[in-house]
Amino acid sequence: MKITLTLNGRSREVDLPPLVRLLDALRGPLGLPGTKEGCGEGECGSCTVLLDGEPVNACLVSIGQCEGRAVTTVEGLSDATHLGPLARCFVDHGGAQCGICTPGMLISAEALLARRPDPSDEEIREAIAGNLCRCTGYQRIVDSIREAARERAGGAA
Amino acid sequence: MSLADLPLHDMRRAASLDALCGLVAERHARGEATVLLAGGTDWVVEQELKPPRPDADPLPLVVDVSRMAELRGITATRGLLRIGAATTYLEIRRHPAVIERAPLLAAMARELGAIQIQARGTLGGNLATASPAADGVAALAAYDAAIVVKSVRGERRIPFSALQTGYKQGSRAPDEVIVAVELALPPEGSPWLWRKVGTRRAQAISKVALAGIAVRSEDRVVRFGLGMASVAPVTATLLQTRALVLSRPLSDITADALDAAVLSDIAPIDDVRSTREYRKHAAKAVVRGFLRDLGAPV
Ligand SMILES: Cc1cc2nc3c(=O)[nH]c(=O)nc-3n(C[C@H](O)[C@H](O)[C@H](O)COP(=O)(O)OP(=O)(O)OC[C@H]3O[C@@H](n4cnc5c(N)ncnc54)[C@H](O)[C@@H]3O)c2cc1C
Ligand code: FES
Ligand code: FES
Repeated sequence: MKITLTLNGRSREVDLPPLVRLLDALRGPLGLPGTKEGCGEGECGSCTVLLDGEPVNACLVSIGQCEGRAVTTVEGLSDATHLGPLARCFVDHGGAQCGICTPGMLISAEALLARRPDPSDEEIREAIAGNLCRCTGYQRIVDSIREAARERAGGAA
Repeated sequence: MSLADLPLHDMRRAASLDALCGLVAERHARGEATVLLAGGTDWVVEQELKPPRPDADPLPLVVDVSRMAELRGITATRGLLRIGAATTYLEIRRHPAVIERAPLLAAMARELGAIQIQARGTLGGNLATASPAADGVAALAAYDAAIVVKSVRGERRIPFSALQTGYKQGSRAPDEVIVAVELALPPEGSPWLWRKVGTRRAQAISKVALAGIAVRSEDRVVRFGLGMASVAPVTATLLQTRALVLSRPLSDITADALDAAVLSDIAPIDDVRSTREYRKHAAKAVVRGFLRDLGAPV
């Protein structure tokens, strides 16, 4: 089945069986290995991408369900040579250690900040509740996202 | 693992609800299975857990209903709330009419899975999977919602009380598509409760969950609905407890009578998530908590 979608802002076409998981389509034929597979069952959030702006588990979405829709992966948050400001905050504030959860965390954080430019810590924790991290204990991730919100608001205080 | 089977399935979209009903009926008559794929948060996970398929087994046809217009959207008119079967939990919890008029549904949707699950999961899928642990079904039970289903024979409404007949079994025919749920809205500001017991992790299935709505008139409750997950082979509607509460002034309801009614309404089991005894304890405690909020001396 030919499927056309907007991927990180660019129109792309793939020819795949419709029930191939979006996760496998991204990491394979679409050449974007930034999205990670952890559990494959919707539990860990390491495969989180944006589908029309909302965070979803790419392990549970079929490529055929993405026809005509917009998908954003972690690659879409940075350019080829520079880390995006959100990812930069994770580096600067210890939000990433082994890095396996990081692409999914960045996407969940991006979805939150797009709707809530000035989130409370509680809102940050709710937004990343579907993203497991075995390294950081979460506090540094919360700090990183809060800092990214502050930078976006224009105050680097 | 059988994840390898996923890409082998054929998937289609249907041009309309009528076309979908026709396709499902035709295939059903030939003994062929059709899967309506909405968010995939139950079905895809099930495929991953399935053992490899024997070569001879035909695969079902998958029809993507996640964007079918007739199954989507929320309307509130003249005290009736209608939610399309393929509307996502995220859409439900953000909808102004749900937040204002059916806050129990908003609270349930907000605590079902994490946001990634809420962005895909639907009430249609929750109802069709029909797990006794299903949160959405428990909330619909509290409202005594009707389930609107459609097939080539036409549309009908299944009252909640006639929906479930046994563990993962119900009165919906195999070729009936779930179109929407409809519920009579309580007056604005009416008391309600949504309580998932025994877990703090966003993704975890609860040991017990209680949905409740009440409409009060002075010292009496004049409309009362409860739905409890994970305490019986089906979603518990707690009919004895409802009858007790509706039968007398709140000030005449005793803790002993309430506990006895709750225990007669549930049949919990031991499983990986909890024990029978803990579930009994939790069920009594959450119902008492709701009645206490309503003003009963329990
Ligand atoms: C990590 C995780 C956490 C979860 N947490 C919870 C939780 O806290 N509480 C809870 O209750 N559930 C939970 N679930 C289960 C699941 O998300 C819900 O049951 C959800 O409502 C399923 O909806 P769906 O659209 O994804 O269904 P799908 O997987 O798309 O479909 C499920 C079944 O329903 C059928 N179906 C779908 N739509 C229709 C229709 N319109 N008519 C007829 N049949 C239909 C399908 O054919 C399929 O058999 C969780 C799942 C995961 C993976
Ligand atoms: S790999 Fe998708 S949620 Fe874990
Ligand atoms: S940084 Fe290792 S899992 Fe989060």
